[in-house]
Amino acid sequence: MPQLKHRPTKQVQVRMKPFLKFTFKLTLAVVILSGAAFFMSKSIDIQGVSTEQLSAAKPFFGADEYAYEAPKGDPAESALSSKINWAIIGFTILMVLVLANAFDISKYTAKITGRETVNQNNVNKWVMLIFMLVGLALTIWEFQAHGKLILLNNSASAHGVDYDSMFTITLILTSIVFFITQFLLFWFSFKYAHKEGEKALYLAHNNRLEVFWTIIPAIVLTLLVLRGHQTWRSVVYAEENNNGKIHSIEVFAYQFGWKARYAGEDGIMGIADYKFISGKNELGLAFKPEVDSLIVELKAQIEAEKAVINDIKSGAALIALQNSYTEVENLRDYKNMESLQKEIDALNNGDKLDEAEASIKRKTKQIERILAIQNNSKQFASTFNGAANDDIITQEIHIAKDSLVTFNFRSKDIIHSAWLPHMRAQMNVVPGMPTKFTFRPTKSTVEAKKEFGEEFEFYLYCNKICGVSHYNMKIKVVVESQAEVNAWLATQQPAFIKKPVAVPAIMNSSDTMMQADTTKKLAIN
Amino acid sequence: MSTAIITDTHTADHHGHHEHHEPSFIRKYVFSTDHKMISKQFLITGIIMGCLGMGMSLLFRLQLAWPDQSFPFLETLLGKWAKDGKLDPNYYMALVTIHGTIMVFYVLTAGLSGTFSNLLIPLQVGARDMASPFMNMLSYWFFFMSSCVLMSSFLVETGPASSGWTVYPPLSALSKAMPGSGLGTTLWLVAIILFIVSSLLGGINYITTVLNMRTQGMSMNRLPLTIWAFLLTAILGLLSFPVLLGAGLLLIFDRSFGTSFYLSDIHLNGVGALTNSGGSPVLYQHLFWFLGHPEVYIILMPALGISSEVISTNARKPIFGYTAMVISLIGISFLSFIVWGHHMFITGMNPFLGTMFMYVTLIIAVPSAVKTFNYLATLWKGNIRFTPAMMFAIGLVSLFISGGLTGIYLGNAALDIQLHDSYFVVAHFHLVMGSASIFGMFAGIYHWFPKMFGKMMNKTLGSLHFWLTFVSAYLVFFPMHFMGLAGVPRRYYQFSLIPEFGIWMDVNILITVAAILGGLAQLLFIYNFFNSIFRGQKATQNPWLSNTLEWSTPVKHIHGNWEGDIPTVYRGPHEYSRPDRELDYFPQYEKGDGEPEHYHAPSTQVDTAFEGKKEKASAVFFSSFAALFMKKA
Repeated sequence: MPQLKHRPTKQVQVRMKPFLKFTFKLTLAVVILSGAAFFMSKSIDIQGVSTEQLSAAKPFFGADEYAYEAPKGDPAESALSSKINWAIIGFTILMVLVLANAFDISKYTAKITGRETVNQNNVNKWVMLIFMLVGLALTIWEFQAHGKLILLNNSASAHGVDYDSMFTITLILTSIVFFITQFLLFWFSFKYAHKEGEKALYLAHNNRLEVFWTIIPAIVLTLLVLRGHQTWRSVVYAEENNNGKIHSIEVFAYQFGWKARYAGEDGIMGIADYKFISGKNELGLAFKPEVDSLIVELKAQIEAEKAVINDIKSGAALIALQNSYTEVENLRDYKNMESLQKEIDALNNGDKLDEAEASIKRKTKQIERILAIQNNSKQFASTFNGAANDDIITQEIHIAKDSLVTFNFRSKDIIHSAWLPHMRAQMNVVPGMPTKFTFRPTKSTVEAKKEFGEEFEFYLYCNKICGVSHYNMKIKVVVESQAEVNAWLATQQPAFIKKPVAVPAIMNSSDTMMQADTTKKLAIN
Repeated sequence: MSTAIITDTHTADHHGHHEHHEPSFIRKYVFSTDHKMISKQFLITGIIMGCLGMGMSLLFRLQLAWPDQSFPFLETLLGKWAKDGKLDPNYYMALVTIHGTIMVFYVLTAGLSGTFSNLLIPLQVGARDMASPFMNMLSYWFFFMSSCVLMSSFLVETGPASSGWTVYPPLSALSKAMPGSGLGTTLWLVAIILFIVSSLLGGINYITTVLNMRTQGMSMNRLPLTIWAFLLTAILGLLSFPVLLGAGLLLIFDRSFGTSFYLSDIHLNGVGALTNSGGSPVLYQHLFWFLGHPEVYIILMPALGISSEVISTNARKPIFGYTAMVISLIGISFLSFIVWGHHMFITGMNPFLGTMFMYVTLIIAVPSAVKTFNYLATLWKGNIRFTPAMMFAIGLVSLFISGGLTGIYLGNAALDIQLHDSYFVVAHFHLVMGSASIFGMFAGIYHWFPKMFGKMMNKTLGSLHFWLTFVSAYLVFFPMHFMGLAGVPRRYYQFSLIPEFGIWMDVNILITVAAILGGLAQLLFIYNFFNSIFRGQKATQNPWLSNTLEWSTPVKHIHGNWEGDIPTVYRGPHEYSRPDRELDYFPQYEKGDGEPEHYHAPSTQVDTAFEGKKEKASAVFFSSFAALFMKKA
């Protein structure tokens, strides 16, 4: 058995090699450092700004610069800020190098003198303590600096108040645990660091202690669960629990945007179906003339695609493409040559044919399904009941302050998620499965502007990755009085049956009803 | 006697002693069936994948910090995906997706569990090799193939999979929905299926070896906590990965054969109404998270096991509450199978299910809390040696606390309404699952490097690596909590289009700079790692003065691990600083003076100071849990 208690530091005679190596490294570091410092000062001087002005222009990170706005498209300034950032990165690299060298010094002195000059255990013990103190101080600082920015105790919806109090309770409990356990972890690391000639306490377990710290978290979590249960149910069953009037708005998501639909003058939201979607009927409302013209359009497209297939099969398409290819080839138009070559490839490997055939299949099926609805008298009556004719489709969502509103979500293509951070409201928008969220806004846009600044608007963001423009998929939400909402709606045109401009229609949206698609229910998946 | 001489001369006649036992280069280093070599293969592949994954994160962090800035080197590197030095939004999402996939599956599942299960299971339970060495080799090569297939998707014209590492359909199912959903996603799915095969082959092997091949005296309650963690991890993987396989196969059907498992009522831009009808995208999410949640623990538990071992060894103390630690691990494993719905509170799942998933999710906090407190109690009155491994283990506990506590917010269905898919989630899982597990992996590498390569790693560079990584991990992920709470969504290509997010620009820059710092710190590690393999100081047989069985094997790797008989085990793995012994460690394989075969630790004076009742810890633990459940019913 090797009985080595500590690895003894090697006794090394004074040799030239480490000396030379060390001197070389040090010189290299000094040269790199001074060179970089020179370069950095140069690069900043080019802009003719001194370092003091810089820090005034763009404070790097601190509590007070939230008023600061990112430079908008001023090339000189953005170039400057980029230089500063690169300077920071460069500086960090140098710090690493210097630190590595500093540690090397101890290694070489140890080699030369034959004993360990720096007790690494002690160094690390003190760094543990410093890390804890600085880390906890920074945490508290960050709570003060960024705590102002987080959405807490400034909810713009009724359930948001419940939400915020639930959050605050959790925050307080977890913060207590966080500070105590982190403190103990680093304090123990510091206090019980290795001391020569001492032995650790042999303590394998202690039942009473273990039961204690099993039961306490269990009780605390039970309380949190109960409170969370209450809050969750009050939020998700808001519609069922409320026997008053609810305003229903359909929120429609597609790549990459949102649309809102209000029931028109009749107060009834019409049926909509993805099969009815066309260029003029973006939401796929059950409006008979539009659906009829869609069928005509689809049939024409099918004919066109059949012609394409004939062209491909007869070889005419290939000849035409090859002709235009030679044409652009003569012009040396490489970009078009490339795209044409791709089309020729698609023709040759059958992709184009497959695509056209699949498209015909899709469209035939779509027509078949639409006709199935139209031919079934019962379904026809319930679908094309005229309710959709006067529905209003808008580019903004206007909702009334202090009245309960339900967003009924429908997706055209893929999963999106509707998030209203200020309202503490979020729900995924799933194709083929209706979802909804009910809440009561309590803060009007005007009031919010007073709180968050003149430029503030409520937005509904997409919060589920959905493609290339995911980051820019939002719709403005305006919260105002019921009268203002009505007045705004009166200025909006219905999707199909245009109303006469002169007559101001007063829509009693409190009678609005959502006629749900009875074939689909909220799936218990 | 005479026969022995004859055989000796017989072998001497051939070229050298072991010439015909010595495997060829290919059998030894490439298609090796030796668990030690396979573990090195897993580790080095994992490190390479880790570098790629981290590099990707730095690329998209650059975009987030300086969205309007042009970086010419990006165009050199990525070509058409970064025209004029600005990252393409599609490629941004591809990077996010592949970063997630690599880190979750290739680094923290295969790189961590694959490496250390392979290295430690036979060595710590006292076996000559895995139960099936050939299957073990297959496991690595499936993993290798899978890595290659995944990375090859960068060579595809339409780019790699870009619908997030969860690859939710319909986005991932429709090639017209985004470019990455074309061939890139097909390759992603193939890669994951190969990965699952690898993981299952490995998992079966680990379980069999632990259950059947323990040496004499190595009862289940003498297993090191690492082995417990690896065993439970393997069980989790074995039960949950097949579900992902199913989900992936159905997705392939939907993509290629026109089925409608996940698709319904879709009208796609530029395509028109699809024929798919009756499927549900939420079904995929259920199947995915049925793996996805256990996966979190597949990642975390080996790290916890490693840190238990490292902390006990370097604090020179028995791990506090061994039984409680094991029961916590079992509890976490069991619960991890019934909490997947907490990823789906607001996906349109029935709200009633939401309440159920909230209950079970928050219960997980109890065993996690027990583990944390036990770690703290282990450090208390210890004699701590700050080896790099120990510091990484302490860092793991710190990150586990920070990230674990935010889980209490996210597991709460009500709070999740607001926090779902925000930067708060990003902060949470990067701390508790990402950083904590990476720290566990580093702890393992620094601790068992002498066992793997027979050399010591440089301690100074190790300390420096730890502090830089630790500071940068907190600098990167801590501010993200506040961004999320302020309503910043994740997976956004840039924030400058939404004026409200402008205030976070400085924080974004800080995060990116800290991430670059963290990336540079890993260069120190890479240098230290490879430099030490070739030029490191020679290791002694038991450099950390540890108790476990792997340190009784010779420094130079031999086939079959032990030269003579496999040692017998006399006691648990954590007998450090026993008052009745002069040395502060007592190896499992060392027989005490006049000690009976089955040794029980004497209850010492210190122990009795707290000792109330004499019940077994396990009995108390179970009864307290039973009481808890009964209260609820």
